[in-house]
Amino acid sequence: MWILRNSLPVLFLLAGACHAQQLRALQEYFRPDPFGGIVESDRRPGAEWLKQIDLRAARGSYASFHLVVNSKASADYKLSVRFPLPVDVYREWFHFNTPDSKYYPDALIPASLPYEFQIPDAGNKIAGQTAQAFWVDLWIPANTEPKMYRGEAIISTATAREALPIALSVIPAVVPQEDAVTLDNNSYGTSWLVNQYPKTLAGFRDSAEASLESEGRLIDLIHAYHRIFYENRGTFHQLGYGHAGKVGPEFAPELAGTGKEMHVASWDLFDRHYGPLLDGSAFRNTRRGAKPIPFMYLPVNPEWPASFLWWGEPGYEAEFVNVLSEMDRHFREKHWTNTKFEVFFNHKKRYKGFPWDGDEIRFTRDNNYFRVYHRMLEKAIPLNSPVHFAMRADTSWTAAQQFRELEGVISFWVVGEGELLWHPDAIPRLKQHGDIVWTYGGTPAVQKVSTEITLNPLRSWINRVDGFVRWQTVDPGPDPWFHLNGGDLTLVYSGERFNIPGPVPSIRLKFQRNCLQDLALLNALCTRDSRKRLEEEVVRRFNHTQVADWSNANAKLPAKPILDWNNADFVDALKPYEARFANLDPDAWLRVREFILDRAGKAQ
Amino acid sequence: MKKLLVFLAVALPLCARDKVQLEHDLDQIAKVATVMVDGDVCQRILTPRALQHILRKDPRDQWADGDNYDVDDQAFITTKKTLMRLAQLANYPVDVNLWMPLDGAPGRIHVVIRNRYEMSQFWKWGDLTQPTPPIMQKVLEFGQRVGVEQKSGYVSVLAPVRNSLNNIVGLVEVVSEIRPNARENVK
Repeated sequence: MWILRNSLPVLFLLAGACHAQQLRALQEYFRPDPFGGIVESDRRPGAEWLKQIDLRAARGSYASFHLVVNSKASADYKLSVRFPLPVDVYREWFHFNTPDSKYYPDALIPASLPYEFQIPDAGNKIAGQTAQAFWVDLWIPANTEPKMYRGEAIISTATAREALPIALSVIPAVVPQEDAVTLDNNSYGTSWLVNQYPKTLAGFRDSAEASLESEGRLIDLIHAYHRIFYENRGTFHQLGYGHAGKVGPEFAPELAGTGKEMHVASWDLFDRHYGPLLDGSAFRNTRRGAKPIPFMYLPVNPEWPASFLWWGEPGYEAEFVNVLSEMDRHFREKHWTNTKFEVFFNHKKRYKGFPWDGDEIRFTRDNNYFRVYHRMLEKAIPLNSPVHFAMRADTSWTAAQQFRELEGVISFWVVGEGELLWHPDAIPRLKQHGDIVWTYGGTPAVQKVSTEITLNPLRSWINRVDGFVRWQTVDPGPDPWFHLNGGDLTLVYSGERFNIPGPVPSIRLKFQRNCLQDLALLNALCTRDSRKRLEEEVVRRFNHTQVADWSNANAKLPAKPILDWNNADFVDALKPYEARFANLDPDAWLRVREFILDRAGKAQ
Repeated sequence: MKKLLVFLAVALPLCARDKVQLEHDLDQIAKVATVMVDGDVCQRILTPRALQHILRKDPRDQWADGDNYDVDDQAFITTKKTLMRLAQLANYPVDVNLWMPLDGAPGRIHVVIRNRYEMSQFWKWGDLTQPTPPIMQKVLEFGQRVGVEQKSGYVSVLAPVRNSLNNIVGLVEVVSEIRPNARENVK
């Protein structure tokens, strides 16, 4: 009796504590909100709260889920995870999203375990917050023994403890290192870094001339951006010049002289920036291992290395050939032979720097400029050079015409996805020449359904193009933490607010990474299974379509010359096609993944 | 309209001699520009088709004017080379931009040629045309060179461009920064 009497207050206390907090989990594509619910765009049948998490994954990949702590009472918590494989835990930041005045989790703040936190979170400043969410990545190294792994997530307060079991079934299949689709994350220049890292890059604000130390910090940050995209199965492009040809100092070697005397005066800053990216050492301590970047924009533009002042005169060619030849020699000496060096023109005549469009040519006479540069490039680079230079064109309006007119000139095509799919015959023809074919587009905003971000990678794989470029991925806007503007120009955030001297990932980046690792495994299955059968089943599971629905070859296009088209015509012509991909389910990709893992399991 | 300070403003962190030298240099370049820039050639840069799209906004497509922007290559290149040569009269970063009123759009002006450093006190990034600033209107009407300091850290001199009929058909903006930023405008 005395035992019961003495225990009662404790029991009541524990019972009260258990009611005050609750630890639950969600499958990865169902995003939680800060009030104990699921964000509206992911709130569909199948969005279940889980009291335990059961996952299945291949080796060499991540398995992910959300952990959510609900609490109506304000309290201090401690989160820990016991698991026999490497675990990365991130606190999910809830952004107030201006376009629809709702909260969405997106930025992921790395959390060291055990992790102490409060609900409501004083930093996130959400009135009435009752839930804190965490993104959990379980990393399964390629040499992991295939079997069932068990562990638990534990949430504790001063008076109570609650555990959520985690079970992970690791199958023998290994996700290939190489991606089936290159997912490229694009950006422009470095001034955005100075704005997003006012503390780290204070030296650039305080002084017109950057010190060696400031330059070092900038380069470290650039490398950190390459790393975060690489770790999440992406590539990163950073264009180093403006629309009138100004080149950022770290993107080009320093030049001296003019005309036939033009030459490289110094490789110092260029090599400090690009050396570790081109020899792979910048990626030394990553899970994917040291590897040179596969692609890189050169700073070549109509004003670099040759001055536009000499355009059409012998001096222009002399300056161009001198410097490009030196580049080739320097890259050879450094053994930078695993990267495609792109001669890419981004300028548009509407920005008034040059008289022709380099990007998205609308007036076909502008193609002549590409021919001139190609001829000069051929003069500069010996045929037998082991360094890979490529002329790249980003095209939309006149894509079909450019494919024909610039055959043998352009070897790297980045095409508007809608336009390319009107001309499906072009894809095998270009690839037959050895050309690289990517498509491009934007990034889904946070208020879109979670699986929207898997659509472009899957469409690229189905349509057999080599890659997809998200044209801007590092611009979170002026106040992403409290007034996010949809986030459709970013997949990463500055970590400086959290004393992290580099970028932090987003949930959407993780969705994309997990999709890409699944696609890599799916692609590997094609060596055993019929690719066509795999494709049919994948699209059926994804959005109840057939592969034929993913083609747009028979689209009804406006019967007028391209120069009389406008964007509205484009949008109208694409509407029937895009309608096939409207209303995706949040678990669309989970259905695809189940299929891939089933097939991979059978293939062993 | 932002407050204009015509060379009376106290400059930013630049010693007086430097600033005076800068103003003097830009003024000299602007003076030469009025002589050297050929207004007749400038008038041939914008194509009639491009002008048509600028004047007639497409209600279905807000980007139609930019997508149809086009220039006469030869007129553009000839003029740009002249502007680039003028900029070389200084041994530090200077841009010489060409601005012209739009036929058929009274009160509006557009930058026709920009140069390497993308410096300007007037151009808002991406704007195809814009209302004519009063200080530019003065240059177009009275044909005098004027100095401008309205954007922090920048110094410009505006000077008229004339054609063979002695009509003022545009103006140059000779512009530099007191503290040039090597990474600005690389975007």
